[in-house]
Amino acid sequence: MYGWTGNILRIDLNTKTYRKESFSEEFAKKWVGGRGFALKILWDELKPGIDPLGPENKFIVALGPIAGIPAPNTGKAVVAAKSPITGGYGDGNIGTRVTEHLRKAGYDALIVEGKASSPTYIYIEDDKVEFLPADEVWGKGTYATNDWIYAKYGKGVGVLTIGQGGENMALYAVVRSLEGRAGGRPGMGAVMGSKKLKAIVVKGTKTIPVADPAQMKAIGTGDLRKVGAIDKQTGWSIQSTTGVLAWCNEVAALPVRNFRKTQHPDAWKIDGERLNAARIATYGCPNCTMRCGITIHDHEGRESELDYENIGLLGSNLEIFDLDQVASLNYLCDDYGLDTMSAGCVLSFYADAIEQGATGGDFKFNDPEKAKELLGLAARREGRLGNLLADGSLRMARRFGHGSEAYAMQVKGLEVAAYNCKFIPGMALAFGTSPIGAHHKEAWIITFELKQTSRESYGREKAAKVVELQRIRGGLFEYIVSCRFPWIELGWDIKNYAVYFNKATGLDWALDDFWKVGDRIYSLMKFFWAREIPSWDRTRDYPPMVWFDPANADKDGPIAGKYLELDKYNVLLDHFYDIRGWDKRGIPTKKTAESLGLDKEAGVVQKYARLE
Amino acid sequence: MNITIKLIGPFIYAAGFSEKEFEVPQSAMVESLLGLVGIDKDRPKIVTRNGKAVGPADELRDGDRVVISPLYSGG
Repeated sequence: MYGWTGNILRIDLNTKTYRKESFSEEFAKKWVGGRGFALKILWDELKPGIDPLGPENKFIVALGPIAGIPAPNTGKAVVAAKSPITGGYGDGNIGTRVTEHLRKAGYDALIVEGKASSPTYIYIEDDKVEFLPADEVWGKGTYATNDWIYAKYGKGVGVLTIGQGGENMALYAVVRSLEGRAGGRPGMGAVMGSKKLKAIVVKGTKTIPVADPAQMKAIGTGDLRKVGAIDKQTGWSIQSTTGVLAWCNEVAALPVRNFRKTQHPDAWKIDGERLNAARIATYGCPNCTMRCGITIHDHEGRESELDYENIGLLGSNLEIFDLDQVASLNYLCDDYGLDTMSAGCVLSFYADAIEQGATGGDFKFNDPEKAKELLGLAARREGRLGNLLADGSLRMARRFGHGSEAYAMQVKGLEVAAYNCKFIPGMALAFGTSPIGAHHKEAWIITFELKQTSRESYGREKAAKVVELQRIRGGLFEYIVSCRFPWIELGWDIKNYAVYFNKATGLDWALDDFWKVGDRIYSLMKFFWAREIPSWDRTRDYPPMVWFDPANADKDGPIAGKYLELDKYNVLLDHFYDIRGWDKRGIPTKKTAESLGLDKEAGVVQKYARLE
Repeated sequence: MNITIKLIGPFIYAAGFSEKEFEVPQSAMVESLLGLVGIDKDRPKIVTRNGKAVGPADELRDGDRVVISPLYSGG
């Protein structure tokens, strides 16, 4: 078997033991890697109903057959567990040197089980694993922790770490890596924290098994140069993802004031042009020639690495239009190890709920200093308010009552990314049907909706586009494990990834083979939900209800008076389910399960929920 | 008639401006603006007028705000 090392490293924190396990070629071909491996392992090994923050949960780092090899942009890893914020399968991808090192240590995935008795970090060097005390950095932020680890092992090792947010199990705590990389929005950092696992450090010195190493190297390194050249020619990374802020503001898709508004006259103050002008450094992931991490000085003079989602949700959504203050909030989230997107939505929801009279408090929009204080409270779970904020907007809304759940901007418990879908039906569907909660990584169809369809349409073509993009974004890139940016932002041909995969594995897969794996993964993620929540119904695939509220429609601008219509959204959702082969509740049918090779899993889920 | 053109992302650096007012003939079409700002015609892009997507053959009106953006894909 080429492409895969064929091994998984299983680490038990209870007993401080570890073992190398092999997996079959059949398993490799069926689930490929990354999200596929993680999902299947969690499905097989977790009992439904377990506490995501209990020792029964498992934290997984999963890589794919092209992860870590020199080709565009393969320095990513998937981190996964049962999510504490959604209760379903949760994951995220993160740029990290762990990818290459873990593969070179001889593993395609790492499973961490149990719970350490005291703060611990794991050091993996090839076949050796050490369990080491992390008391010295427990209670410290991710930057200090990274420095502490680098001082011990050098900067070349792979490191995944958590901050105070993860330690204290804030439900949207992420895993952090490198200068400004973060991943695992659905609380993957909290799962590490629940295990008292402060960091994972990896050094690998072996060779990643590749079927055709000479050709792979020639093609991969050549393509890295080509992607870099396209980036230079197009100028994409001058503003990177932040260029989209000004555009969202023009087309009424920007989150402003807890998504109440879609545009703001001061948005230009925090747009990509201003960010590029303030740039002091640019960071990226390993094996990347289109680095996206624009770094500026924050209000306190620290380096803060920003992208669009950070600025949209910690900036315009909080009505903060001082770029250096937005950078400060971003820095704090990164240091605490809190997800910037959820943190922005949690704070905006809190300000909105106070304004609506659903709760008391003195936090207002456009109050960066108070926002900084609240982030600290959440990360430390300090006092009643800190605990409240650390639990995310859905749980906050359930405590506040007064109908506030309608404007808690989340799906399945996970906060919405920075696209205001007040009147973008297809993108609302993309958020609604994202299996891990409202993440933009699964599908993003706004320019398609505006350019190639009518914004007003709830037609089948939008559902088809969401499925198509889920197959690629949430499918292919998440299980071969590679960054989607060369393809999605520079137009790098998707067929190249089949070439990399085939050169690495020695197989001869066509794109249709990849789509089937993606469909299998999406259906199993739904089975995971149905096993956890047998009463699962389609309302869990709805976007936030405030988008359906006529009273929330913009008063002026391009979408004045427009809002999403629930009956039409349901038609769109029916199209989506039909294309996916799922029933009206959004659960895969027996026939679909059979066609995707999920018969055994269907048999399991039928013990909990009815299948059609 | 006067048209405001707003460019997004890398187009700003290609054209040398971010936002500018242009005087164009009556009945000018969206396509004519693309030539005016010197952005490669073949480059994938989305053009909006007053926040709504338009095609190259759409006619402009006095006071229009036209935004020309690369086809962003949501990161």
